[in-house]
Amino acid sequence: MIPLSYMGRLVRGGERLSYGHYAVDAPTWQALWHTSEVALPMLSFWADERRAYGLFLEGDQPLLVSTAIDDKRYVGPSQRYPVAEWGERVAFDLYGVEAMEVPGDGRSALDGGAWDITWPLSQRPGPGGNHGGAPKVSKAPLWIDGNGVTGVFGLVPDMQQGGIRAEQCEAGLGHRGVTAQLLGRTPEEAMGLVARMSAGGYVAYPLALARALMQAEGRRIEPALRDSWMVLLEIERVSLHLHDVMLTARAMDAGVLAAHCTHAREALARVCVENGATRRLTDMIRKDGYRRGVEIVPLAQAVLREMKPRLSKLALLVDVYAPRLAGLAVLPVELARGLAIGGPVGRSSGRSLDLRRAENGMRLDALRATGASAGDARARQAVRMTEVFDALRLIERILGSFGLGEADEAYPAIPNVTDQEGVGAAESARGDVWAWVRLRDGRVDAIHMRDPAVPLLAGLGRIMKDVEVAMMPLALRSLGVSTAGVAQ
Amino acid sequence: MKSRTISLVEAFLDVRRWRARSVASGGCTQLPIGLYFLETGSCEGCAMELEALCGGAYALEQNGFRRVLQPEDADWLLVTGAVSRRCAERLDQVWRAMPAGRSLIAIGRCAVDGGPFAGGYATLGGLAGLTRVQRSVPGCPPEPAAILAALVAFREGKAA
Ligand code: SF4
Repeated sequence: MIPLSYMGRLVRGGERLSYGHYAVDAPTWQALWHTSEVALPMLSFWADERRAYGLFLEGDQPLLVSTAIDDKRYVGPSQRYPVAEWGERVAFDLYGVEAMEVPGDGRSALDGGAWDITWPLSQRPGPGGNHGGAPKVSKAPLWIDGNGVTGVFGLVPDMQQGGIRAEQCEAGLGHRGVTAQLLGRTPEEAMGLVARMSAGGYVAYPLALARALMQAEGRRIEPALRDSWMVLLEIERVSLHLHDVMLTARAMDAGVLAAHCTHAREALARVCVENGATRRLTDMIRKDGYRRGVEIVPLAQAVLREMKPRLSKLALLVDVYAPRLAGLAVLPVELARGLAIGGPVGRSSGRSLDLRRAENGMRLDALRATGASAGDARARQAVRMTEVFDALRLIERILGSFGLGEADEAYPAIPNVTDQEGVGAAESARGDVWAWVRLRDGRVDAIHMRDPAVPLLAGLGRIMKDVEVAMMPLALRSLGVSTAGVAQ
Repeated sequence: MKSRTISLVEAFLDVRRWRARSVASGGCTQLPIGLYFLETGSCEGCAMELEALCGGAYALEQNGFRRVLQPEDADWLLVTGAVSRRCAERLDQVWRAMPAGRSLIAIGRCAVDGGPFAGGYATLGGLAGLTRVQRSVPGCPPEPAAILAALVAFREGKAA
């Protein structure tokens, strides 16, 4: 048992709403951002019209705190946690709730003046366009196509000082209103939509939500299902890492490495199809199971057979081209810790967090410490390759004891609490995905999906500080930046 | 155990060996068609499949296509994703920057009709709601092989 931090004690002084979720009053909420004590890492911040929420990591467990929003205003956490700024801006665009005492300039995250209604999720949306409440929009020219991000990301290079003007970059151009569509749906319907939140997590996103629903609905997870989900997540990790290594390779003209990655990834897709799964593992995760007709053990065996012989050449090629990436786009470890940047990007800087280590039934001996700390593009490429090896090793270990061990017991109902709530997470290839859901009358009453790119984008200005414009696409490729789950 | 040098040579030879053969009957002798990819707001799955299509495992160039990085060099515009309201203007700009004779192709369900992101305040749906789309590749996401087969069919005058 880890000793409770000061923040942990403050939060737990509030009213308990569910497992690990406490409601605090406005003075306590404010005190969280002003304490001089060592702060817990913040994973995510979001708000709707009624409440503001902060999700923290305490040890390896989530801790959620929320407070009521009064008169559409609340004290914003970004004064202490820069990672919260994105959530504050999103909350304003969607609900018109305003963060007070924050350093940001109130610039629009998603709307950008393009919607025909303002605050579309609030009780009283306003007209779109240029009225008093319309969002502030940056007019900086954006570099979008070919900047190194697969999705829609408006990059603003700083031509005078070098690096980028992070405060003017646009990550919300591809917003598609997913939260609005999720509200009021049944959990099964929500799973289907969340499964298309980001191609960087066709397994991880719905898995995080499935775990949150397990908690909300008080269901237990049998070891065989837990193992099946782990196997699917590891196959996805291999596929995504190959994709990101391939894009990085292509951006540095390492055609041979790119070709090997592409062939390996397409072979993996073929094996998945041959064993009843979908090519990229779309629609595999159900809220209490996985796609019917798939047999996980033969699938896992076929993946091992196909991928293991390819590893030595892939590793060799990654190593051969590594010098081209040395020193590029360095993420310092204190920044990774401060913003809770995870995944291979965080781990290559020395922030070792990997949520898989805390999972019940995990075969820990398969997961090595990466030992990386340089935080540059070279370290990221090497860590991804190491994690491909480890993912296959983990699948092998799981096959060795498939379905054994204790079940994850259901969370018992909390006395006097009627809402069903849950938090779930999955360590995706690009970092930790978190899901929080509240059900009312069997439907989604509130939901939040946290994408691992949110903290990464919060630190992008510093990471790209010394990167020349010509090298930006390579730097962004090496970071695996994607906006699909950020813009939602 | 093989030496590093031998393994490296093998890795290079693999790539030559893999060089995919043309899927078109008799190969392609015409000038390559320039393809410009545009993402407009989605899960990025279709955009990732287009990246895979360019990765050497598929015979894109052998079939007479090349990816271009400027709309001015493009013959065909391949759109992925539902058209978010903030991307609509950019879509129009890219389209106008392309030379005459251009063609618009919707890749994946989102680009056709908005897919799971149709409706609501944030998107205009897919291209079908904005213009007449004669060429599209269905799927969520479509496979690179299916995209390539469709491109070849379009070039040969067959609509999807
Ligand atoms: S069609 Fe499917 S895979 Fe393609 S962008 Fe839309 S949701 Fe993603």
